[in-house]
Amino acid sequence: MGLIQREIERAGIPTIGVTIVRDYTARVRPPRSVFLKWPFGHPLGEPGNVLQQRAVLFEAFRALYAIAQPGTIVDLPFRWRRENYGDYRPPSPQELAPRKNQTGGS
Amino acid sequence: MHSFNRLKNRLIARLITRFPRLARRFINSYRPWESEGQIPWTEPRKPLRDCRLALVTTAGVHHANQPAFDMQDPDGDPSWRELDGATIRHDFRITHDYYDHTDAEKDLNIVLPLDRLQEFIDEGVLGSLNRRHFGFMGHITGRHIPALIEFSAREIADRLRSDAVDLVLLTPA
Repeated sequence: MGLIQREIERAGIPTIGVTIVRDYTARVRPPRSVFLKWPFGHPLGEPGNVLQQRAVLFEAFRALYAIAQPGTIVDLPFRWRRENYGDYRPPSPQELAPRKNQTGGS
Repeated sequence: MHSFNRLKNRLIARLITRFPRLARRFINSYRPWESEGQIPWTEPRKPLRDCRLALVTTAGVHHANQPAFDMQDPDGDPSWRELDGATIRHDFRITHDYYDHTDAEKDLNIVLPLDRLQEFIDEGVLGSLNRRHFGFMGHITGRHIPALIEFSAREIADRLRSDAVDLVLLTPA
């Protein structure tokens, strides 16, 4: 998956990948990833668990804008079923937009 | 790392044998497959609420009327399927022998979160979804890796660009 991600990013489109195999992602080195130590086949969580799926998506989008170093893998804190996703607080609109304090120019 | 280098060497050897014209390009331009060279990088330019998003999944999702992914080849199937965002929820199949997709068949959102993203659009969090998304099968190794990079990945990157997609979210299986 990371290989595809790299080619999309190379073509000029920003990307964020969800990974559940950290070692492989660390070798392939896609530009930005969020990692979940979760079962195969469940990158966004369990069937019907809307709050869990939303939390993963929000954190992926947060990471899209927060990651400044190519190749960064953000380890998400979610513990699969042992998590109360009702307590999850989504990022603010400012966190889901390009960072203001980037160094500009050349 | 040693075994990974062996894999790389065998891969390049196979590549040069099978795709002599590709070999030089692959070796010159795609060395960063490993932990060397530059990682491609494009800064997000728009707030999420203004972005058109497309999904790419390697979970083996395709439409019922499309050819299934080839499960006979031990190196996997590097081809891709175009997924129609308007209909894929209702006529999808998952062809992928290397993970248990019982749960994904119950709720496609755990690998292709179209309903969740539509909720984000309704809430003003996300701009829009592209009309099409792209399905791959993961578990691609050996001689199919250069085909994945040199052809399939670039073919869908071209399509995503022509659709003016601002952002791509990738999900594995």
